Amino acid sequence: MSQPNSSNIFSRRAAIGRLGGTLGAVGLGSLLAETCAAAPASTSPKVAPRLHFAPRAKRVIHLFMNGGPFQGDFFDPKPGLTKYAGQRPKEVDLRTERATAGLLPSPFKYSPRGQSGVPVSELLPKLGECVDDLCILRSMHSDNPNHGPALYMMNNGTITPKRPCMGSWFLYGLGTENANLPGYVVLCPGRPVRFAELWNSAFLPAEFQGTYINHSNLDPQEMIPFLKNPSVPRGAQRKQLDLMQALNREHLRDRDTDDALESRIKSLESAFRMQTEAAEAFELKNETATTRAAYGTGHFADACLLARRLAERGVRFTQIYYGNGQPWDTHNKHHEQVRNLAKTIDQPIAALLNDLKQRGMLDETLVVWGGEFGRTPVSENGDGRDHNHYGFTMFLAGGGVRGGMTYGETDDFGFRAVQNKVHVHDLHATLLHLLGFDHEKLTYRYSGRDFRLTDVHGRVLKEILA
Amino acid sequence: MLAATISACGVAYGDEIKPAAAADVEFYERKIRPLLAAKCYECHAQSAKRREAGLLLDTSAGIRRGGENGPLVDPQKPAGGLLLDVVRYDADIQMPPEGKLSAAEIALLEEWVRRGLPLPADGSSVIRKQGIDFAAGRKHWAFQPLKHCQPPPQSAGTESDNPIDAFLGAKSAEHGLAMSAPADRRTLIRRAAFDLLGLPPTAEEVEAFVADSSPNAYVGLLERLLGSPHYGERWARHWLDLARYADGNKTSLEVRAQAWLYRDWVVRALNEDLPYDEFVRRQLAADFLPELPPSELAALGFLGVSPEYFKELKLSPEMIRTIVADEREERIDALGRTFLGLSLACARCHDHKFDPISAEDYYGLAGVLASTRLTERFVVPEPEVAVVRKAQSELRKLSDEIAKLKKVKLPNPEEKDRLAECERRVRELQESTPHFQDALAHGVDDAALYVEADGPAHTKLVYKPGEPQDLAVQIRGNPEKLGRTVPRRFLTVLSTGEPKPFTRGSGRLELADAIVGQAAPLAARVIVNRVWALHFGRGLVDTTSDFGTQGERPTHSELLDDLAARFVASGWSLKWLHRQIMTSAAYRQASTYDKRAAAVDPDNRLLWRMNRRRLDVEAWRDAMLAAAGKLDLSLGGAPAELYKNDNVRRTLYGRIDRSDPDDVLRLFDFPDPSAHAPSRAPTTSALQQLFVMNGPFMLRRADELANLLTADDSATPETIVRQAYRRVFAREPSATEKRLGVEYLAAELASGKRQAAVARYAQALLGSNELLFVD
Repeated sequence: MSQPNSSNIFSRRAAIGRLGGTLGAVGLGSLLAETCAAAPASTSPKVAPRLHFAPRAKRVIHLFMNGGPFQGDFFDPKPGLTKYAGQRPKEVDLRTERATAGLLPSPFKYSPRGQSGVPVSELLPKLGECVDDLCILRSMHSDNPNHGPALYMMNNGTITPKRPCMGSWFLYGLGTENANLPGYVVLCPGRPVRFAELWNSAFLPAEFQGTYINHSNLDPQEMIPFLKNPSVPRGAQRKQLDLMQALNREHLRDRDTDDALESRIKSLESAFRMQTEAAEAFELKNETATTRAAYGTGHFADACLLARRLAERGVRFTQIYYGNGQPWDTHNKHHEQVRNLAKTIDQPIAALLNDLKQRGMLDETLVVWGGEFGRTPVSENGDGRDHNHYGFTMFLAGGGVRGGMTYGETDDFGFRAVQNKVHVHDLHATLLHLLGFDHEKLTYRYSGRDFRLTDVHGRVLKEILA
Repeated sequence: MLAATISACGVAYGDEIKPAAAADVEFYERKIRPLLAAKCYECHAQSAKRREAGLLLDTSAGIRRGGENGPLVDPQKPAGGLLLDVVRYDADIQMPPEGKLSAAEIALLEEWVRRGLPLPADGSSVIRKQGIDFAAGRKHWAFQPLKHCQPPPQSAGTESDNPIDAFLGAKSAEHGLAMSAPADRRTLIRRAAFDLLGLPPTAEEVEAFVADSSPNAYVGLLERLLGSPHYGERWARHWLDLARYADGNKTSLEVRAQAWLYRDWVVRALNEDLPYDEFVRRQLAADFLPELPPSELAALGFLGVSPEYFKELKLSPEMIRTIVADEREERIDALGRTFLGLSLACARCHDHKFDPISAEDYYGLAGVLASTRLTERFVVPEPEVAVVRKAQSELRKLSDEIAKLKKVKLPNPEEKDRLAECERRVRELQESTPHFQDALAHGVDDAALYVEADGPAHTKLVYKPGEPQDLAVQIRGNPEKLGRTVPRRFLTVLSTGEPKPFTRGSGRLELADAIVGQAAPLAARVIVNRVWALHFGRGLVDTTSDFGTQGERPTHSELLDDLAARFVASGWSLKWLHRQIMTSAAYRQASTYDKRAAAVDPDNRLLWRMNRRRLDVEAWRDAMLAAAGKLDLSLGGAPAELYKNDNVRRTLYGRIDRSDPDDVLRLFDFPDPSAHAPSRAPTTSALQQLFVMNGPFMLRRADELANLLTADDSATPETIVRQAYRRVFAREPSATEKRLGVEYLAAELASGKRQAAVARYAQALLGSNELLFVD
């Protein structure tokens, strides 16, 4: 039987007292100060730890190509595919989810781009211009070729849904920067597969779960749950809240001192402000025509622009799922589909990176791109590609990573990561590192042990740090 | 375990090695030892903070034995073997993990292997004894036999004869603290009603209790509350948090079973005060207890509603075995923490790092679960099930025939008649077979699961009904790396002597009997502490699901022992326990803050006052529905979405889906139902308050309450305020509250519609701290 909520026993002081065994007196003081400053309208039963070292990034934007793009189409040219087209050399005899046939070349041409000359395919002409800001991880690999487990892995570091997602860890570690907005926002113009399990805080307190927002309707009042009161005008609501707060203070007068009562009074005020602030944050109409044009049109462009607005306002983690279901899951007509998909991401991502840069935010905003896995260089159903967790590409940009570089290699056909392999755990360790955390120390005590995002794994990719 | 594993799989390659030549030793000392020290000792030495893979490279014995993955070299492959494979990054394991060694360094290791791993004769280097000292482990406080403790004398001035107060009072006195004054009757009835029923008392009930001057008024109140059918609803929800209850689990595709049969069983069992030991036994093994009526099979839902993870059978058996092992881990975790307060899952990959639980203990229990299948079960007697099965069989034949007949393009009259007859018979079977439409319960039965190859690429799951299986230890949790097979059995540390293998089927009943038998002291402490925590807001042991060495020690160990011992003596009666706790002066005291006491004991661990608690989302939602006069108190049955179609049933009956949780419940700290939740972590966020200000549920309740308050057209603002306080808080407003309300209403009524203005007022009361918190 779970404990009931208790107002006064999980006070911040109590929580710190419990951590006291591991922190010195100095740590305690600064911890208290930081926590109070970071989260004035929010209480949690366990106080998040301090940063372990100077952060390179303050926030993350994750562009999630749900379904899994094929690595060979964008940043990992494989001439071997053309040379051995239709054949099935023994290197590619790897088990994936479904039956596959011979090698299917990618028809998209590569050319060196930017100062760095890193090759980018013709599918991404505009993003190619930004290649000097991209750190391309060509040697990603994961554990399971099914969407569900791979989506869990990318989000929570296991193939099951019962662990906190990385955004929850980020928020737990960093605290919120803006109490008038949710700190962890998930944008999708529909429902990705596995839905809310992809932003679940699991055993971390519920305040660290992602706030899911379907932005297919761009009216902020429609996007954010309970943002708008359909019947009470703002002025009347202010008077109503004044009354409620007067009653709450009257109630508190006989019950001094109580952190929980006071913090709820504060958070009512935050919520009142959030109605204005979140509506403003999510209002794309406030952007200039030039900016709108730079991002282009479509759900993904809208999401990228929303992500920049949220980043400006202190949202710690914005995750954009490309679309409903799994649009990148191209088991059929792969080339045709990917051509259309690429058109919808090229300009918006380039615009996002340029926009962040112009505003001086790219240095402290880490942009992550990729799917839950990649796809096979061998064909499935004739013109499709199957899931591939043995090797795939992701890229990072901004937030303390080196640009204009590639890291790691896949084999001659782009099937399997072979050199400087980067497991999803390593990616997680690196993201936490960039945010200022030692991934082995950002832990939460649950079920008798200290859990962490990377479990017992993870290697920080020191080679890619700027 | 590790020691056993190492000797079992470590081929004794080094045993025959001859003393190394001096030149070889020098080579080792000058080239190899520094390399190992620089690159490997961090994880593979006696001094290492974490010794990985059971491999010690700083001792001769360790080098000769190798680690969990086997010996370092293979006499059959002088140029290969594990060591060289991993440093060349040729194997699945690539070492060192932070980057490949240089070619020169690898060449040195190749040379060392070529020379036959020469080592100095440091006979003194021994592998530190590994394994668990169970005799020492048994001394842990939580594993001790329960003892009735003679309570200390009651503090001066107290009228209580409840031993709880004697224990608490003595400890407080040591710190110069004493209990607070008793709470007033209004506070007390509200506290007791929310605690036992999760419902607010009505104004009439409050007034009757306040006016009742008999000395038995409070005891009478407790008896009334404990006798209410809503008691079981309230406490079932607490239990369901532990049992990670969910109505839906979308990863399993064709589940027809209805989880609510288990939920309703828990409600019923608690209402009937089923002894807790029996409550445990039935949840783990009702199918082993033939004397029970079939309706009790619904108890098996504790295991039956376990999360199932998607298993893509187009994948290899290796991958599926990992998923199956993950499922077992979750079940062991839920079982261990719920019933024993032990984090057993920690021992899946290695011996528990802190508690005396070995990996062999884990696999002894995992074998029980590996012999248990999640299944759907009828909850009616077997002869009646047979009738349904017969009908189902006939129905299948009819369906086939109908399908065939429908394919006939130009049926002759005979075929037409036959089709009509078949369809009529289908309807008849569906409608007239008793129990045909019955909901099936999530249950379990005995069947061992084997994950086998299905052709060269795919996997099949093979269940062998009635055949239990023992599992081998999976080294480092890897299902492909097996150590010794462990018989199905209970935990060593909680057994008297060596644990005996289970012999009856999967062993579930023996497991349940061990939990409430050999481990009864621990099991009783854990449940008593949970109930205590739910009454006081915090347990005597703060970590309610961790009674291991990493958990907190009890603040009042004699009190916990005594209460647990008397609980067992009472026949494991939970209602007895509620009475004991709730009749204590400690429970009945006020929650008033006291600066002096807070300076001594800021966390109130000594209970110098009652803790103020926030209602959980269920009680809060139910209370608002009650205030609006809309709460539907009907009991049991299928769940429904809470916020669609304006569901006004108790929150307990809202549909819980693991992959699509209710947004409002999650916003208000409802736990993730995919794993055991020992407690609810209360959080306060602005998003919650948006719901309070703008949520359709809030607006509707406010509207309904306003309808009640304005039913009388002539009601003055003052009457409205008084009525509102009566409905929402079951009390009269204070002068200030009355003034605030009347002023607000007067201003709003002057400028707008009456009903809307009163609704805004009503919403302010519903959203207030007073409703959300219990003193």
